Amino acid sequence: MRSTWIAEAAAVFAKDWRCELRAKHAIATLGLFAVTSLIVASLALGPVGIDTAERVAFAPVLIWLILLFATAAGLPRAFVHEEETHTATALRLSASPSALFAGKAAYSFSVLAAVEAVVAPLAAALLQIDVARPGLLAGALALGGFGLAVASTLLAAIVAQGRGRTTLFAALAFPVLVPLLALAVALTRAALGAEVAAGILAQLVLYDATVTVAGLMLFPAVWNP
Amino acid sequence: MKRHAPWLLWAWLAAVIVAAFYYAPTAQGFSGYDQPPGGDAGHASRILFFHVPMAWVSFLAFVAAGVWSLRYLAGRRDPRQDRAALAAVELGLVFGVLATVTGALWARFMWGAYWNWDPRQTSVLIALLFYAAYLALRAAVEDRATGARLAAAYAVLGLVVAPFLFFVLPRLGFTLHPDAVINTRGKVEVESRMLQVLVASAAGFTALFFWMHSLRRRLLDLAARREEESI
Repeated sequence: MRSTWIAEAAAVFAKDWRCELRAKHAIATLGLFAVTSLIVASLALGPVGIDTAERVAFAPVLIWLILLFATAAGLPRAFVHEEETHTATALRLSASPSALFAGKAAYSFSVLAAVEAVVAPLAAALLQIDVARPGLLAGALALGGFGLAVASTLLAAIVAQGRGRTTLFAALAFPVLVPLLALAVALTRAALGAEVAAGILAQLVLYDATVTVAGLMLFPAVWNP
Repeated sequence: MKRHAPWLLWAWLAAVIVAAFYYAPTAQGFSGYDQPPGGDAGHASRILFFHVPMAWVSFLAFVAAGVWSLRYLAGRRDPRQDRAALAAVELGLVFGVLATVTGALWARFMWGAYWNWDPRQTSVLIALLFYAAYLALRAAVEDRATGARLAAAYAVLGLVVAPFLFFVLPRLGFTLHPDAVINTRGKVEVESRMLQVLVASAAGFTALFFWMHSLRRRLLDLAARREEESI
């Protein structure tokens, strides 16, 4: 019986979560990293007493920096782990490349969304910001997190086949992610009460769509020797 | 003819250099940051005859690298196309660094600082980091075919992300760069002798790029053949 594309992607997604719940690697490192760095930054800034406008300008940068480093710290594992445990070949046989990519990207997105669900409210509470547009904040986090997850999944697959993976991931990811992060920061800032710049939401959607299509098309070339 | 082509190129570029200093006038309506506005930019403006073509060649090289990478991936994985892409990236980096340095000198004269975080400067800097990462990726993969495949995928990703870098990012801030030479008013706003030298220089630099590219690609081909023979 041939499995469908959706079923393959769902199986990869479920497998990654099952492994994660067994080892608790991502939850332990990413969650702890995100919360610790947020608390350190808030603690350092809190007593200084910067005013509301400055906090609104600064908080999005802090949130997205934390998400970027959390991505770099935890997500490349998605493929590095497969190479290290020599399960990559089995994976090549059991799912089509695009379904595998979709499953891995969905897993990365769900991990990032979980981190965001902790970091964003905590940042608002610690930095004492009243979120002006909660809906827009959720949209910014979802769109930014999606782009981050998809782009880093493709880059993780590239990096897993080289040496010096962590540093290489940072070097490869930074230039690709700069437009995404700039747009996500601008949109998050708008959600926290700054003036909304026109067209940012559409550009962020366009970036996400672009990396998704590019990822689905390039992944087979990256994955299959 | 082919044997004399490099000499023609040298003669052309020498003529461009002479023309940039003795034929083209200095830029009017510009003035340094420490001078009264609307004056004469003086000899400093002559750097633009080299800055603009080098930026153009760097852009051309990166697009060419992306196209060669795409053809490598979509076609029969011909290693020669991969080496052509690699040579283009290397040259694009060289010209990109030169364009950034000449731009920084001009920025120092016009705006008072070598680096202004102008969006155009930022985009170019990130593009240079991207292609430096491309070379780092190639160095990090031992197997030649694997490295070529991964690097090609990365270069194609660069080709699709680049529009965001060059068209979206600058709109998030303000720019000190002028409109494109042919702007929305549909008028060429450059003095005609300056434009002649600029176009001649851009043509010369484009030819220089293709000549250097063919040299570098042939060198890479020879190195690959020697490696094959030694195995």
